[in-house]
Amino acid sequence: GTQVKDVVIKPDAPNTLLLDKHADYIAAYGSKKDDYEYTLSEYLRMSGIYWGLTVMDLMDQLHRMNRDEILEFIRSCQHECGGISASVGHDPHLLYTLSAVQILSLYDNLGSINVDKVVEYVKGLQQDDGSFAGDKWGEIDTRFSFCAVATLALLGRLESVNLEKAVEFVLSCMNFDGGFGCRPGSESHAGQIYCCTGFLSVTGQLHRVNADLLGWWLCERQLPSGGLNGRPEKLPDVCYSWWVLASLKIIGRIHWIDKAKLRTFILACQDEETGGFADRPGDMVDPFHTLFGVAGLSLLGDEQIKPVNPVFCMPEDVLQRIGLHPEGFLTSENMLEMSR
Amino acid sequence: MHGRVKLKSTAQQEEERRKEREKKLKVYLATREACFAKRKQGALDEDALQLTQQLLSSNPDFATLWNYRREILLHQETVREEDEVQKLYEAELAFLESCLKVNPKSYGSWHHRGWVCSRLPRPDWVRELGLCDRCLLLDDRNFHCWDYRRMVVKASAVPVDQELQFTDRLIGSNFSNYSSWHYRSTLLPLLHPQSPEVATLCPHRPSNSPTHSHRVCEEQLLKGIRPYIELMMMPHSIFLIRAEREEMISCVYVCREGEKVVVAFSRPVKAKAVGLMLVLDGQPQEVEWVSAPPAVQHSPVWICELPPGTISDINNEHNLTVHWTETHTHRECALYTGRTESWCRDSATDQELFRCELSVEKTSVLQSELQSCTQLLELEPQNKWCLLTIILLMRALDPLGYEKETLAHFQTLKEVDLMRSCYYSDLCSKFMIENTILKMEYAEVRVFSLSHKNLSILCHLDQLLLVTHINLCSNQLIRIPPEFSMLQCLEVLEADDNVIESLEGLNNHLKLEAVSLRNNNIRLMSLLKPLASCPKLTRLDLRGNPVIQNENVQSELSELLLLVKNLVL
Repeated sequence: GTQVKDVVIKPDAPNTLLLDKHADYIAAYGSKKDDYEYTLSEYLRMSGIYWGLTVMDLMDQLHRMNRDEILEFIRSCQHECGGISASVGHDPHLLYTLSAVQILSLYDNLGSINVDKVVEYVKGLQQDDGSFAGDKWGEIDTRFSFCAVATLALLGRLESVNLEKAVEFVLSCMNFDGGFGCRPGSESHAGQIYCCTGFLSVTGQLHRVNADLLGWWLCERQLPSGGLNGRPEKLPDVCYSWWVLASLKIIGRIHWIDKAKLRTFILACQDEETGGFADRPGDMVDPFHTLFGVAGLSLLGDEQIKPVNPVFCMPEDVLQRIGLHPEGFLTSENMLEMSR
Repeated sequence: MHGRVKLKSTAQQEEERRKEREKKLKVYLATREACFAKRKQGALDEDALQLTQQLLSSNPDFATLWNYRREILLHQETVREEDEVQKLYEAELAFLESCLKVNPKSYGSWHHRGWVCSRLPRPDWVRELGLCDRCLLLDDRNFHCWDYRRMVVKASAVPVDQELQFTDRLIGSNFSNYSSWHYRSTLLPLLHPQSPEVATLCPHRPSNSPTHSHRVCEEQLLKGIRPYIELMMMPHSIFLIRAEREEMISCVYVCREGEKVVVAFSRPVKAKAVGLMLVLDGQPQEVEWVSAPPAVQHSPVWICELPPGTISDINNEHNLTVHWTETHTHRECALYTGRTESWCRDSATDQELFRCELSVEKTSVLQSELQSCTQLLELEPQNKWCLLTIILLMRALDPLGYEKETLAHFQTLKEVDLMRSCYYSDLCSKFMIENTILKMEYAEVRVFSLSHKNLSILCHLDQLLLVTHINLCSNQLIRIPPEFSMLQCLEVLEADDNVIESLEGLNNHLKLEAVSLRNNNIRLMSLLKPLASCPKLTRLDLRGNPVIQNENVQSELSELLLLVKNLVL
């Protein structure tokens, strides 16, 4: 037989959910302003805040975060072009524009920013072939297609871009294995698949996915340890408990994964000492993996955690409040409300 | 953020590390402040290049700094000679190479390198391809590098077979070579642009040709034995994909009662907006199309009602034409005097509904592959890749003839690969339903039995539009799904001895008269609500369900289901 790349879960690995420890870890994370790693990750700060706030909300601990400071921070990150940057002094980008809009949705405070300008910014990034650039420097990636439509959906402004062309581009990134890559011709990758199935859900085009084929590729990500990898012959990583699981949920095939084994793996990625989740058992924790560990457990049905929406990776109650239909469309009632 | 092992250390080691990080942080912050300050001032000079270089060397994901460098370089283009610009960008490439050595997976570095090549007066694509060769030799799963390579290949028109040879070398020397196989899957169709297998490899592209071949699979097979995982993987994917079927109307059903017209398509369509037109006795009809299940934008089944009195008189004969303007196709259906209903439908076998047409040549290739896999299975009876490939080869060659063997192999698969047993159950269910639909051709189209088939899921319900009696007894079904509403002619449903806990799909079945749900898992009264919307339902058997243990079940049910005279609890 051939060696399978995988981890071995030690018998003394954590096997219960340490929600309180994780909440404490995240609550304290923001005050690490004199930490080297924290500073180095400034280039993604807006996403970092979104990860922290979302996991706290999922654990019903959002009140422990500094709402006013964060709202002010976001305001100071919107640029003249409408786009939003990861932090003060950094350049705007679709990734952080989405994160900002997600945060403002959590806080029900979309009025903090100039929404029309955000829409203009997103619209301006669509290319002739329907793809989206991440910013004015032109990098094309299906991640950005997702960022674009997710942002617009949360703002109730999906129709601002050419959806037909956008869909055409994403579908042109579909591969022989039913998966999706960054650009046409790129290899299938769980992260891209999450973005593309999320995109197709928001744009009402899920029927274009070969759910049986893609579902098989996705459930083949599960390794003997119970963890999920991102593509064949890679090590498992807790963040794939999100990218893979959410994708399976979106295409209606989540039952093709062994849920009990995955839960065991995710729990083993916790750090009993510091709180938080690491990519795999024994590694260093961070807010990114903490969110996706908790979100993954929510998708698996853990009742201690709020239900999470698989497309937006936000609590379902937030999306209900906004009035987003499961397939990503605003309900007619809510569209009326928003236009008043 | 990935792969950082947590190390145990002493208090002294901790302190030393803390001090060092504090020092590093100070330097970093100072350099960053200097960078931002310069940018604010509008400085686009050598100094700024130096500062950004320092930070990017250790933090290439700091995207804003690559932006700043681009601004500086663009400015330099306007004040320097072409030769100087060439040198400047080549220095940039050298810097990028050092960055990539440290971190070969930074989006920012690869994008910047591509940008630099686009600005270079004289880009050296051969060198760029060489960089990719070296990078992929170190890690042939680096998708950043593969994507960059594809860009270089496109920009410099590298011949397809040269790239195919490159993948050959990698596949031959490396076990983990999924990226190479993927690349091949995109290259082979370029060699055979007119061939139908393009459709097989690109499932989203609609095929104009009704025939499909497996020539690509054949190429793999004919090139000799490869590591079995890859061999199994490629044919597997190819067989699972059937190019999107031609979009067309597969069935039209007309019923005088309710003046209903039901149209089934070969795949989901958006009929609400435009495109679906009804002509009755030469007159276009203004009707509203509703999807089944309801409120869905894309559906294979659409229903409309003609104005009352249009076709209700059984003494009148009518000619109905349904036009699908998207593909300029139509279907005709005659409703004769004395008949209450009529339909027009393609035969399932004619359409090759579930598999691709195979030429004699292709068939023999697949048969010999089946033989080799079977031999391999004898040596490794627990080899899941082998089992799966054999099943798929059998489906392609003779789904009905190999049914018994297929079921046996699925049983083994479920034992050998426990984690994915639900997947195998669902896939096996799909195949058994397909076989039953295929057999339907030789029997009746209105009575359909799926009992005792170990079904974990229902599918292909769009093929069952005409079914009046369906038997789902003794399976492992958890729900009657929303798509069940496609069975517009259903009169009798038998679904005893399952584990059904949801009846969503039983909403608004206008012809449904009798439902048997003995020994299922219906727990709450509210789950029976869909049945209240079936106006002709008179018989319901709920024995053996948890819900009947509730107090007042008899009276609550009678209230909910006023019309059901024969309620068996």
